[in-house]
Amino acid sequence: MYEKAKDLCEAFQARGIGRRDLMRRLAALGITAGIADMLVNATATRALAADFDWKAYKGTSLKLLLNKHPYADSMIADLEAFKTLTGMDVTYDIFPEDVYFDKVTAALSSHSTEYDAFMTGAYQTWQYGPAGWLVDMNEFLQDKSKVAPNYDWEDILPNLRASDSWSGKPGDALGGPGAKQWALPWGFEVYMLTYNKPVFDKLKLTPPKNMQELMTTAATITQSGGNGMYGVGLRGSRSWATIHPGFLSGYANFGGRDFTVADGKLKSAVNSKESKEFTAQFVQMVQDSGPKNWATYTWYEVGADLGAGTSGMIYDADSLGYFTATGDTKMKGQLGFAPIAPNPEMSHPTSNVWIWSLAMSNFSKRKDATWLFMQWATGTDHLLFGAREHDMIDPVRSSIWKDSEFQAHMEQKVPGFLETYQVTSPDAKIYFTPQPLFFNVTTDWAAALQRMVAKQIPVSEGLDALAAATDRQMSDAGLG
Amino acid sequence: MAQADMLWRGLRGVALTLVVVFFLFPIFWIVLMSFETNETVLQVPPTLTPHLTLQNYVALLSGKLNTATGIINITFLHNLWNSVLLSTCSVLVALILGVPAAYAFARFRFRGGEDIAFTLLSFRFAPPLLVLLPLTLYFQDIGLSNTYVGLIWIYQLICLPLILWIVRGYFEDASPDIEYAYRVDGHSWWKAFTKIAIPLAGPGIAAAALLSFIFAWNNFVFALVLASADKQPVTVGALAFVTASGIQYGIIAAAIVLSILPTLALALYAQRWLVEGLSLGAVKG
Repeated sequence: MYEKAKDLCEAFQARGIGRRDLMRRLAALGITAGIADMLVNATATRALAADFDWKAYKGTSLKLLLNKHPYADSMIADLEAFKTLTGMDVTYDIFPEDVYFDKVTAALSSHSTEYDAFMTGAYQTWQYGPAGWLVDMNEFLQDKSKVAPNYDWEDILPNLRASDSWSGKPGDALGGPGAKQWALPWGFEVYMLTYNKPVFDKLKLTPPKNMQELMTTAATITQSGGNGMYGVGLRGSRSWATIHPGFLSGYANFGGRDFTVADGKLKSAVNSKESKEFTAQFVQMVQDSGPKNWATYTWYEVGADLGAGTSGMIYDADSLGYFTATGDTKMKGQLGFAPIAPNPEMSHPTSNVWIWSLAMSNFSKRKDATWLFMQWATGTDHLLFGAREHDMIDPVRSSIWKDSEFQAHMEQKVPGFLETYQVTSPDAKIYFTPQPLFFNVTTDWAAALQRMVAKQIPVSEGLDALAAATDRQMSDAGLG
Repeated sequence: MAQADMLWRGLRGVALTLVVVFFLFPIFWIVLMSFETNETVLQVPPTLTPHLTLQNYVALLSGKLNTATGIINITFLHNLWNSVLLSTCSVLVALILGVPAAYAFARFRFRGGEDIAFTLLSFRFAPPLLVLLPLTLYFQDIGLSNTYVGLIWIYQLICLPLILWIVRGYFEDASPDIEYAYRVDGHSWWKAFTKIAIPLAGPGIAAAALLSFIFAWNNFVFALVLASADKQPVTVGALAFVTASGIQYGIIAAAIVLSILPTLALALYAQRWLVEGLSLGAVKG
């Protein structure tokens, strides 16, 4: 019986059979789910260890700094597999997102040796990388002796690999010549519509395909949704986080850019014709059909309103839609997903992306051992575990998107999600120009939007003023 | 006349009720939310008669929260313990150091005395982050990083100036003649300090200690920057319920109720001394 079970587990590792099939066949052999998990883990460990010395740093202890997030929960659930594989110990500090980046910045700026690796976003690496706080992961990726044979770097989606790499020169393209790999992509999110199916059915609406339809549909819901329902949930707080989701995705779809680059100098492009055209529509939509307290709205309020059935739809992260559709909410199981290309002349969406990535602290005293951990955490086996068993719903590896068990898992939990992702993802990438004043510039951008929505300044005039202020800021910093 | 008196009393009663409702309603709302599920909290329009549940308190006390995405481990009670430990020890250390120092500043004139007192007060003016980053470097070098001892030391930036400056005022208000008379009877300086000066300033010391405790309890940034997750107080711990998959409003409300209990109990216990202490010296006779 043991040999048969072992063969089945090896067939599973070789992708010969799916997990559900494996579990069914193991159950037929009288093996309980708990034992089956142990067998699968043991086989995975043997398979991983076959051609690479994963035990090179046996006995070493690493410490991670993590953000409280379902992706981190997924990794924690699988840490025993890493410990078994390497003989290393891993401890971690986990902090809520509201304070997480303060903790990271404090640890790095004080050159703390406490943390070896940590979670980060790509935007943060534009500050941390050039400051000398991060290790360029190319040092490891380009050294074949340090890369496990089955760690397929090319399998990670190209736009995500590029988004985490930058030369450090303001305005240079992400992933361009001389770029340093500041972090390894680990999980990400794209921006799409998530909508309240019952209200769409009640009002006989179809998911909007462009900005005009989005505005009309949102207005209809605001007028006829009932129970104080409003049309579209969008972030509006005075923060960079207001700009990067739906807003920038739509903005890029209209051909808008944040900067133009000439002779290494950055010039604000927020007052271009395309920018003014999109921004005017966006502002109008918030005024007509956005939440009443839009200027205070963050990720949490947008998700809470969708989950409570207070908003008709959101133009935000696919993961926010997923968590709302599967969490403890009133609208659980009643949300639909749809792609959107706001510009009617565009055939496909241009979603910006947020990438949860893993970066190595330059102050770590165990860099080679940390690399083993990062290789494991961004490797296929662990990410497959997260995608199939947990909520790592936006895997960074193309092979996982093709995994039949992951596809079945997602289709069962959130019907329509995968199709929407397939339409949204091809051009999904970071649409910001990398530069060290990213957070200042985008916070000012959000503040300007607030003034326009509050009708304190007309859109065209507001964008001209924003462009002038941004240019001054860049010039003062020697970037413009 | 009697009618006007009754009308006046009635109006005063209504005004008092309005004031009480105004101030207590947020607390009432939080207590109510702590007995509701997230779905009920987010209900539109909100209801004053929701279905009540103990699940938030059970989750906090058991350390396990069942959600649609799985079981979340909660370390709130540990955070609460950290707050109690850090605040209590910090206030005790500040009392041991601050009360004698306050007495010295009140009773003796010495070179640089005012400068030292003002320097200690200036700790309250400095933006915490400005102080914390260099401190992190020093703490790493001397091994105090991520230790309770290190945190209690840093909490003196909050507690010590408060205690020193408040208690100093009380010592200055008490006449030194009583202490002189006691010492003329042959008692030592130390006995005069412990048997006469401290009891006289007792209400002030209690008030200063309570205020310091509240300030220390509410501190957020010191432990966040200087310590690991296992040494975080409730102020940081409560944020764990704000997650990417949603805000657990009910749990946060229950956490707030539990976290104000120690301070509330202490304030009620010390109320008598607190009122006396805070009003003493307000009017000079």
